[in-house]
Amino acid sequence: MPSRDLGLRARVESMAAGVGSPLVWLAALSLGTSGCAALKVEPWDRDLLAEEKMQFAPSAVENEIDQHIYFSKEASTGGSGVGGGGCGCN
Amino acid sequence: MQLNEPRPGTIRGALRAAACTLLAAGAATVPSNARAAAGDRWNLETATLIYGEKGGTTIFEPIFRVSRLYTNGQRLSAKLGFDTMTGASATGAMPSTRPQTYTTPSGNQQTTPAGKIPTRGFHDSRFSTDLAWEAPVGHLVKTNLGGHVSAETDYQSFGVNGTVSVELFQRLTTVSLGAGLNHDTVDPVGGTPQALGTGREDKGTHPKRVIDGMVGITRVLTRRWLVGLNVGATKEDGYLTEPYKVVSVVDPEDGEQVGTIAEKRPGKRERTSILSSSVYHFERDVLYLSHRYYHDSWGVRSQTIDGRYRLELNEGRYLQPHVRYYAQTAADFYTFGLHSGDDLPESASSDYRLGDMRSSTVGLKYGFPLASLPGEFSVRGEYIRQWGDQHPAGAVGAQRQLELYPTYNIGTLQLGYSVGF
Repeated sequence: MPSRDLGLRARVESMAAGVGSPLVWLAALSLGTSGCAALKVEPWDRDLLAEEKMQFAPSAVENEIDQHIYFSKEASTGGSGVGGGGCGCN
Repeated sequence: MQLNEPRPGTIRGALRAAACTLLAAGAATVPSNARAAAGDRWNLETATLIYGEKGGTTIFEPIFRVSRLYTNGQRLSAKLGFDTMTGASATGAMPSTRPQTYTTPSGNQQTTPAGKIPTRGFHDSRFSTDLAWEAPVGHLVKTNLGGHVSAETDYQSFGVNGTVSVELFQRLTTVSLGAGLNHDTVDPVGGTPQALGTGREDKGTHPKRVIDGMVGITRVLTRRWLVGLNVGATKEDGYLTEPYKVVSVVDPEDGEQVGTIAEKRPGKRERTSILSSSVYHFERDVLYLSHRYYHDSWGVRSQTIDGRYRLELNEGRYLQPHVRYYAQTAADFYTFGLHSGDDLPESASSDYRLGDMRSSTVGLKYGFPLASLPGEFSVRGEYIRQWGDQHPAGAVGAQRQLELYPTYNIGTLQLGYSVGF
């Protein structure tokens, strides 16, 4: 029995095939085209970067809880690293 | 702070530069190393999750993570978690215009009222632990080795993983390579259901292997801005079927359910994900943004957008709103029901988690210190809503009158505490 929401599939695939993520492109552009000299950040200018909150996931346990919830409720997983506890919830 | 403008030629300027160099060396990419330079330190982070679905599952989950940072930059950390889950989950069967009776794997009978999506009551608990060891190799390379064990009534998981990170270009860029291997076993309660059938085959265990690989790049763009790109690939094989999910068999004319059969999924699955992340430091506040694109060999594609904003208040307190939006397409073998009389497909599942689905999250976290105690406390509440197409185009007869896809309203409360000593 057909069960597709063709509208949603089309939208998701269009996003993926078309421009992807603005962040992906921003990162790719920055990583690929920047000479290091052009974006030089001196060691004494890294005070803000040294703060604990300047991490992609500042709280390890909060991140683990989020990953566990979404893993158990959605078909997608991955992206933030390798390994991690297995779970029979999905 | 005025640390970005040390005036050359003055003692104060030189001291500032030296202090910041010590503080910031590798900070953007290996902040733990920078913090460890002050001496051996312990850190305890704990959180307790209370999770509730309206009419569904309730979970209580405390987690403890303790780590020790050594003066040589090494770090050993261990996590202990315990979940208690109880409630009901959708079986995959479609609702009916008549009450439905379902026999659980343990032999109990449950009745679902007309028009409601059938659910299966359950109660389980899960224990999980992991251990990770992080060690610098020279000044620019860092290794991380880890392992985990988890166990619940019908599922056990053992895994190891490792990551190597290299800092390049004046430590502004970090390249990471990682791999992981899981060996899980599934032991369905009441025996393994006959795939796409109604009987049970055996009471044996079934293996499931998961191999992960990841390549990541992190880049400091400015003194306020850090971006990252992770590409991950996962290969799974073994028993990937959900043993307690069923598929409705319906009359192709009137759309009424004539029975249910156990679902069956392919024995292999290859997943790919691309995660891009950004952290930006304003004067005091911090903005976190991420996007993930995902696809797998089952035909699922998804996009996830996540944003958090840490709003600094005074005296170490902060508020952190969170929004997330997720959309996925259905797996190739997802169905709302099979027509009686048709040939059985190779695979079929009505698990709503494999259907076309959207999900949104809004949440708020409040972090605060207490004058009488060291460390930071936090309270976090989130609301998650999941929904899909309840009236798909392929519905026939009575199916058109029924809501075929469950909508979930979920609330979570998380209490956290972290302290270094």
